[in-house]
Amino acid sequence: MRRVMVPVLWVLLVMSLSYAGYFGSRHLEGGLLQSWMACFFGTTYFLSIAFGTLYVYIAARLRGANLPQCILASLVNPSIWMTKEVLRLTESHPFLESLYWFLNPLDLWLLSFVIMEMGLATLMVRTILKQKGEEVIVFTMGPVVTVLGSLTFAVSIYAWGEGENIYVYFLEGYRLLFGYGL
Amino acid sequence: MLILLAVFLTCTAAQAVAGAGEDRPNLVFILGDNHNARTMGCVGHPFIKTPGMDRLAREGILFENAFNTTSLCSPSRASILTGAYANRHGVKNNHTPWTGQMKTFLAHLSAGGYATAFIGKWHMPGKGLPKMPFLDLFVSYTYREGQGAYFNCPMIVNGQEVRSRVPYITAEVTDYAIEFMQKVQAEPEEGRRPFCIYLSHRPGHPPFKAPDGIAGMYAEADVSRVLPSHADPLWYGKTKGNVFQGVMMGSYENKYRKYCETLTAMDQDIVRLLEEMDAMGLAKNTVVIYMGDNGMQWGTHDCHGIREAYEDSLRLPLIVRAPGLIPDPGSNRRQMVLNIDMAPTFLSLAGLGVSSAMDGQSLVPVLKNPEAHGRENFLIEFWRYFPENTPSYTGIRTDRFKYIEFARGRSPWLFDLLNDPLEMHNLMGTPQGDKILPQLKDRLAQLIAR
Repeated sequence: MRRVMVPVLWVLLVMSLSYAGYFGSRHLEGGLLQSWMACFFGTTYFLSIAFGTLYVYIAARLRGANLPQCILASLVNPSIWMTKEVLRLTESHPFLESLYWFLNPLDLWLLSFVIMEMGLATLMVRTILKQKGEEVIVFTMGPVVTVLGSLTFAVSIYAWGEGENIYVYFLEGYRLLFGYGL
Repeated sequence: MLILLAVFLTCTAAQAVAGAGEDRPNLVFILGDNHNARTMGCVGHPFIKTPGMDRLAREGILFENAFNTTSLCSPSRASILTGAYANRHGVKNNHTPWTGQMKTFLAHLSAGGYATAFIGKWHMPGKGLPKMPFLDLFVSYTYREGQGAYFNCPMIVNGQEVRSRVPYITAEVTDYAIEFMQKVQAEPEEGRRPFCIYLSHRPGHPPFKAPDGIAGMYAEADVSRVLPSHADPLWYGKTKGNVFQGVMMGSYENKYRKYCETLTAMDQDIVRLLEEMDAMGLAKNTVVIYMGDNGMQWGTHDCHGIREAYEDSLRLPLIVRAPGLIPDPGSNRRQMVLNIDMAPTFLSLAGLGVSSAMDGQSLVPVLKNPEAHGRENFLIEFWRYFPENTPSYTGIRTDRFKYIEFARGRSPWLFDLLNDPLEMHNLMGTPQGDKILPQLKDRLAQLIAR
């Protein structure tokens, strides 16, 4: 458990500090420090959410975690961010409707990135192990298809009307399930 | 007596604009989208170029205190068309369908002998576009929830889907407006109807895309005087209460610059429309109104968007050019006027009776007289709109105070707009707040019960 939790907690720490730094910077009333903090912590916040999986998966794998453990560990931090966003919506919307936010296009995009990173991380771990003298085949069907498939999906949902079209269907789904929200 | 006076004002308004008195004025209503009221050259914006709006303001009246009653696209648009608060016309958020249960001012004008055209963004929910057979021309689009596209937007012309004829959306809809004016003017003079054009633009709505020649023109513009000091230079970090909090890529400052570019693109076609009217000899007998559907917050109060009950969202750009009716062109009016005032204003200008179903008031008395008595307060309404994170709210704005009650999630707001125009200090729970609150609550209850 420890071999999985440590990398997860490291990314969560970066994510939390970045969140605090990014939003906290707004209380500085402008100036260079505010601007620097917003840029720096905005970047680390984004990286921790969108690319934290890459680190978590590689670190967990190198620490000896098996495949299911690595997959679960990779999903923890993105799920925390997505859940935070859902909880945020409960300020205005009923809980059930807020849960629907899990299906928003940005989350789908993030998940496809996370899956791509898992495939990519597998290839990177194999490369590292090979360099350490282990006998492993780096490129196999599984991770290569995972990387290409998820990347294609991520690019496609953006390319299709810059994400607007899928958002339209997301709203259609909402109305189908919840009506007009009144 | 008051009724007689109203009839007199209505008739004289129609005659004044017509000039000779034998014709009723043509009416051109131009609607912007998400247009922050401070983002025009004529109100002192530091870099945006809006020569069309500036010309209208020079030749007409700029309203300094124009507001919408529901700060969201579809409800506000329905309020403009019907002259009614959203609780009466029923389009409460961008999901609730337009039912047609209330008559639009275009229907009234059509019945009153006007040639009418709706051209541009309809953007009210429902299956496709509504049936409005009374219109002489109905050009709109349903693409992407009715938002359309900046380039090559598929159009629906009198029920038939057609391809766009020119790439950019403002040029496309303006062409239709000009052609409509030409068509009406081509009718035999005897029996020629006055016309009313409702020209609804898309610029101001994301994703902000301007055409060649305008795209990039503000790339180096200094935004420090218009955006809050904490606006993100690197991240499009929509903040508290907004979608995709904190992680959208893209500079907030650049988004704002591109937003301004789309407004300039729209303005370019407003210039073209006004010049075409000049060339056709229509300017003297045509009332032109430019207004936004709602305002927009660009980072103020850590918010981005159109839905919060802050001034940046509620305030509208509003300019009226009415030749012969306005005694002091080029000046401003300070009276509080609303989006729901548009419909009664048009009916009044056309010499038609204002429908009792309308909540708004005609602007004609205010246009004619800078000292005319304005309204003292109005009702602010908002219904939650998934997935935007703003709770439903109801409130009242007077010329000095604003009081907002939320359905969930937030404590009430009370601002003294005279002493705190930026709405930084909530007076709830303070001695001043406690003193004024009962009176505001009473007035709010009256507005709701009305």
